[in-house]
Amino acid sequence: MNRWDIFCRVVDNYGDIGVCWRLSRQLTEEQGVSVRLWVDRLDAFAVMCPTVRPGVPQQVIDGIEICSWVEKFPATEPADVVIEAFACEIPESYRAAMAKRLSAGPQVPPVWINLEYLSAEEWVDGCHGLASPGSETSLRKFFYFPGFTSDTGGLLRERGLLRARDAFRQQGIRAFWGRERFRLPSTPRKDIAGRASSGTLKSHPLGSAGREDARELRVSLFCYENPVLPALLECWAAAPVDIRLLVAPGWPARQVAAWCGAPLELGDFVRRGALTIQALPFLPQAEYDELLWACDVNFVRGEDSFVRAQWAARPFVWQIYPQTEGTHLVKMEAFLKRYLTGFPQGEAISDLWQLWNEAAAEESSRDSKDLAIAWKNFVSRRTEIDQHGREWAERLDRTGDLANNLAEFVMKRRAGVSP
Amino acid sequence: MSVKLAGDLQSGNVVIVENLPLVVLKAQYNKSGRNAAVVKLRMKNLLTGRVSEPIVKADEKMEQIILEKKECTFSYSAPPVHVFVDSDYNQYEIDAETMSDVEKYLMPDMKDVVEVTFYESKPISVVFPKVIVREVEYTEPVTRGDTSGKITKTAVLKHSKHELQVSAFVEIGDSIEIDTESGEFRRRC
Repeated sequence: MNRWDIFCRVVDNYGDIGVCWRLSRQLTEEQGVSVRLWVDRLDAFAVMCPTVRPGVPQQVIDGIEICSWVEKFPATEPADVVIEAFACEIPESYRAAMAKRLSAGPQVPPVWINLEYLSAEEWVDGCHGLASPGSETSLRKFFYFPGFTSDTGGLLRERGLLRARDAFRQQGIRAFWGRERFRLPSTPRKDIAGRASSGTLKSHPLGSAGREDARELRVSLFCYENPVLPALLECWAAAPVDIRLLVAPGWPARQVAAWCGAPLELGDFVRRGALTIQALPFLPQAEYDELLWACDVNFVRGEDSFVRAQWAARPFVWQIYPQTEGTHLVKMEAFLKRYLTGFPQGEAISDLWQLWNEAAAEESSRDSKDLAIAWKNFVSRRTEIDQHGREWAERLDRTGDLANNLAEFVMKRRAGVSP
Repeated sequence: MSVKLAGDLQSGNVVIVENLPLVVLKAQYNKSGRNAAVVKLRMKNLLTGRVSEPIVKADEKMEQIILEKKECTFSYSAPPVHVFVDSDYNQYEIDAETMSDVEKYLMPDMKDVVEVTFYESKPISVVFPKVIVREVEYTEPVTRGDTSGKITKTAVLKHSKHELQVSAFVEIGDSIEIDTESGEFRRRC
């Protein structure tokens, strides 16, 4: 049970590799298993984990063997546990090797798992852990669903994460904002030409030391393409309190740059009205966690950052991965139903989330005024949302974490216990 | 044999999985992430009767088979088999175990036309008409004043000695309708 192969295809963005890398590290560090991570795009992986060398087909990082998943897959002895992340199909030759091992006799066959997408919908509870019969062989693949109840696989959460979060909040925040990449310099690194709509972009007029101690609302932004974003930026620029927006690279930076009317490069910061925009590099996972812990509000997307925002227990706004036929909105509602249970001020969250997601689905007829109201309501309930977020994280914590649950699941399958 | 996507399966479809014929009792389609979908199936092994609940990707290809079905009438019992005959007077022996759920409805000179399903020329199941009529051989007399029909009591069927719950007003010698899917009493004829 000690050798695990995890297969990851980077379909788009970084969510797939983000989850797989996090899972690999946790299995290695906490479960003591040997993990081999097969990734089809090492270049994408290197963005998240700079120590990865894209041109090297086989390398070891943090005790994990990282292999390039090439089309002509090499002859490989299957591991004891085989995970295909997000329903990616493992190579045919590898599957044949698994079947061969099954038919070879007394050896215990590999436990084959499809790690599914995260959803809060009720049907997940009834599908978690079920087997998928093989058509030609007796190899069975188990569907493992992350989720929010004890009838699912739970969420990825490293041992000691919540303690580290709390310690950071007590002692680490000031040092965090003092780090080079988060500190606002006294003079702008780059002048960005103003634009002529409703204001002018100009360099930040403040000195660094005074600025970092000042009470401003700090917001992290990680999102997909979202037509609502410009309206929200306008709203923030006109806000009665100073807002510092920490923008992730990729889609968020491109959209903010379009709003600014100039490229937004790493290290840039621009100011317009009450809004100061700061461009961030792609952060390693541990540092991104700290950013979520340090900010007052986090805009997150997809799966991995969405889960981390819940552990951060700060007010957050989720952009769910857009799907056809508005399926994602159903999934978002399913999450909100769970998340807002027992929270009387739930509308302050759901109104903003719906506007943030419906517009992305081009189904919204509401305008920017609605968004400004929703944002104002959300921020005014920040204290209550913060408290609710802490209680929610504690509740999730009690369902156990995904890596540990997965290891237990595998042990039971190997012992012949039915799901 | 034809190929069908798991996402298109409906109850009643029969597919071959791991060389076994399984009939779909229920198919629950759910969209997962990134426009993918999964199907949770409730399936019954046509050879053993074992029910299982697998899950498959909606785009998985399944081998669907169309089973041969024939209308037959019951001829006689020769344990451990029951013999049925079709309209061409072909005889088919069916294991009593295979039709354990409906064996209780068999009776000599039975006029009900049943549907026999074949897999690779072997009869594997017998389906009775949804409603059949049988005679009550014994039941306790009705309690005076209690003839509303809401109170039930046990009745024993003639020939099979099968027991079921019937309305209080049913008497010995009555013919009653039975729902073969639920196994429940419907009404007195």
